[in-house]
Amino acid sequence: MSKRILVLLIITILSLLTSLLITLLLGVKAPTSIRDLGKYYVANTIQDTASPEAVTAIVWDYRGLDTIYETTVLYMAIVGGLAISTISRKVQLKTRIGLTGITRTATRITVLLIATIAFAIALHGHLTPGGGFPGGSAMAITAMLIVPVYTLQSLLERGVTSTRLVAARGLALTAIGLVAILPVLRGLEAVTNQKFYPSHIAGMLISGSLWFYNFFEFLAVASGFAAVALYLSIPEELYREELRGGG
Amino acid sequence: MIVTPIVIAIALLLSLIFVYLAITEKDLLKAVVFSAGQSICYAILLHAMAAPDIVMTYLAVSVGLYSALIVFVISKTERYEV
Repeated sequence: MSKRILVLLIITILSLLTSLLITLLLGVKAPTSIRDLGKYYVANTIQDTASPEAVTAIVWDYRGLDTIYETTVLYMAIVGGLAISTISRKVQLKTRIGLTGITRTATRITVLLIATIAFAIALHGHLTPGGGFPGGSAMAITAMLIVPVYTLQSLLERGVTSTRLVAARGLALTAIGLVAILPVLRGLEAVTNQKFYPSHIAGMLISGSLWFYNFFEFLAVASGFAAVALYLSIPEELYREELRGGG
Repeated sequence: MIVTPIVIAIALLLSLIFVYLAITEKDLLKAVVFSAGQSICYAILLHAMAAPDIVMTYLAVSVGLYSALIVFVISKTERYEV
């Protein structure tokens, strides 16, 4: 234990000394000016994409195709995880007792708060920092809270299974694909934003396709990570029984 | 502003300590907690460098999802490293 602290102290002092040496001898300074590319985005994002949020505009408009493929990669990863952790018979767990009443009440309040914030992050993604991915991952945390507190069985009895969640994720991904492909029918490029989608709906700024991408990405990421939480929380004994029983 | 470099320096140093503790810890659950601490330091760092979009994704994924996933995975194996 003392050796561990000694090593930690040495590492800390060495890194402090190195950073001091680099700053004093080489005189490394943070840049004070904005690069031309940054200036372009700051000046033109609002005309090009009708969104005041440059990051969302870059992610879903300027570099939209990259993000769609990235979403597909994550989808394949989640499907792969489901494939190796699948179980042939219906998961039936004996324990239905979760944690105590205090934890359940606290979790109920926390889950509501997290869900509200997740929706706000996702649906305001084209106006404020955030977007579909952060909102969806925040939403998936609710599933990871519910599983240990209320038990997996209570979720499965309500019909929330990882297969259904992956199916929901597939539907949301299809919707993202449709939003990207629809402009092609009018002879425009794929992932076109402002030339095809309206910037306002009923007087509210939705920044064209950005709002739809954010919303469907939110659904896709939330259901995908919730599916991961569900299939990882199936107890290991069930897999061992399956292996012994020969499937 | 002198505050921002100081916040960045402290967050970096704390994250270094958390990383060392997480690597050398034999109790895997404690290692997850140290790893989450490192993630919080990085979130502070990103916020000090004015990247709120990254902070949101980073906090949700690395403190929330990643830690929860690793805890689920540890429940399938043993808690202590030999």
